[in-house]
Amino acid sequence: MAALRSSTRILSSSTRAAFRPSAVFSRSMASVSETTEQQPRVKSFQIYRWNPDTPTEKPRLQTYSIDLNKTGPMILDALIKIKNEQDPSLTFRRSCREGICGSCAMNINGQNTLACLCRIPTESASDVKIYPLPHTYVVKDLVPDLTHFYKQYKSIQPYLQRDTPAEDGKEYRQSKADRKKLDGLYECILCACCSTSCPSYWWNSEEYLGPAILLQSYRWLIDSRDERTEARKSKLENSMSLYRCHTILNCTRACPKGLNPGKAIAEIKKQMSLGA
Amino acid sequence: MIAHRLGLAAVRSATKPNVFFSQNIPRMVLASAMSTSQARPVSTQKLSQEEGQQVLVNQRLNRPVSPNLGIYKMEQTWFGASAWTRITGCALSGAAYVYFTAYLASPLLGLHVESAALASGFAALPFVVKGAIKFALAFPFTFHFINGIKHLVYDLGIGFAKAQIKRGEIALWVSSFIGGGYLAFGL
Amino acid sequence: MASIVRPSLLRQTALAARCAKPAFRSNAIKASAFHTSTQRSAILPPGPLNDPVPIPNPSAAHGSYHWTFERLLAAGLVPLSIAPFAAGSLNPTTDAILCSAILLHSHIGFQSVIIDYIPKTRYSGLRKIFWWGLNVATVTVGVGLYEFETNDIGVTEAIKKIWKA
Repeated sequence: MAALRSSTRILSSSTRAAFRPSAVFSRSMASVSETTEQQPRVKSFQIYRWNPDTPTEKPRLQTYSIDLNKTGPMILDALIKIKNEQDPSLTFRRSCREGICGSCAMNINGQNTLACLCRIPTESASDVKIYPLPHTYVVKDLVPDLTHFYKQYKSIQPYLQRDTPAEDGKEYRQSKADRKKLDGLYECILCACCSTSCPSYWWNSEEYLGPAILLQSYRWLIDSRDERTEARKSKLENSMSLYRCHTILNCTRACPKGLNPGKAIAEIKKQMSLGA
Repeated sequence: MIAHRLGLAAVRSATKPNVFFSQNIPRMVLASAMSTSQARPVSTQKLSQEEGQQVLVNQRLNRPVSPNLGIYKMEQTWFGASAWTRITGCALSGAAYVYFTAYLASPLLGLHVESAALASGFAALPFVVKGAIKFALAFPFTFHFINGIKHLVYDLGIGFAKAQIKRGEIALWVSSFIGGGYLAFGL
Repeated sequence: MASIVRPSLLRQTALAARCAKPAFRSNAIKASAFHTSTQRSAILPPGPLNDPVPIPNPSAAHGSYHWTFERLLAAGLVPLSIAPFAAGSLNPTTDAILCSAILLHSHIGFQSVIIDYIPKTRYSGLRKIFWWGLNVATVTVGVGLYEFETNDIGVTEAIKKIWKA
């Protein structure tokens, strides 16, 4: 499982850093000399912890304090600093640190977002609260189990399907206007921020597909090159898959990429209703 | 993986006496304590595919569900416009369901809930109570009505920009409070 | 909300009892003892790990037709509910149309509440009770409404009378 693999990778890399005393020493000395005249700006982070090795222990919040002068600007920087210097057992997913992989999706101060795109709030002194994505099964600490999410993604057949070969025998051509329809849809990185912000998805995730998957569903529904539009629509013709959306719009508010799953779902409903 | 970790732990415990930078001592002690607690006795056993699936099943049985309603931003959960449309709608329809069931059963139960009796009973109430009851009915109505129209507009695919959503939400709460107040006290 | 009322403990021990290995069972029971409120019971996605989730049989009556009807009804209710404010009162026919439209609208609304909070997969028994209970309630209210319309002064007129009382 991807989850386990990525977490062990994080663990091993941090332990490697921890048992090289010279490296740690030189770095901390450097930062001390840099900031002798600066006032330390201490920020506390309350982070959800749960360890599968001791499943009988309840999930809890653990507080870590770090000096923002010695930290990068983003929440992910703070998490990595905590893991490197204070608690190597803290587990979270991360990869690209620039909002394109979708690994570090988590709930920060009550809002789902990517840790790498979320600045550490400096205007208020209050603690930053970090939880895993809401209403998901927790694998460890901030790592949620997204198996079902991926299974749902697979169910919408997210790939081009057509029976007729290309006219010129080389490639499937598309007008500029048709290509433009895919903007705002193809950029989705499947971080699950939107789906896990949706109360409807919280209560009915077994059957309701959720905003992220429906956005992808729409991406294939309006692709002018795809020829299975009717089959794709008939998959949504039931009370659960699509119509558990009640336009709550938490998805649109949550998307760290600025996409609009709420609008995509509304367009699907419109298309299904008008039969167009 | 576990063997690798054990190896790390061994290396780390070997380096422990070599710690001479005083500022690193707490960190190293912490790290070594962590590593020993992570090392588990290693014994491998061959599992069939079904047994492997069963291991996963049992891992999942242990997993907690991450917090949701308790931690998510209040304005998107407890004070979400969509949730309140449902609440107000259920309150109004629930009241109507109760009233008309009572009306149907009133000859059997000897209740007097016909309009004339209710009107005379209502007229006897003090002004504040009357206003409160009227507002408790008028506010859900205006809220459900205005947000219902907003949702019909959403269904046309209009108004999904983040700024529009935010402005619409404020306008909804303000206008339904004003509208509810007017219906309760102005009419 | 809904996750609080899920009888996770029962389901978990039942699942655990089905496991073959006794070691696993004791683990599961130990774990189930502490997850009291937030544990969800339908813990396993159906089917092998790499399979897509199953897709329900298509039925437009529960899908797009239902949705379209619901929205048309709601859109129709907008002028209907403004009418009594604009006209001062309604004639019995319009009043009856308004009331039956509201009754249908309420019924559909309650149905979607039941679908949302009492999932069929987990609580098929409870779902049936609520579903048929709602049907009975709606029919009862329909009869009550008919009695009210025929024997009393009509709904809009009655509300006006009480409001002005």
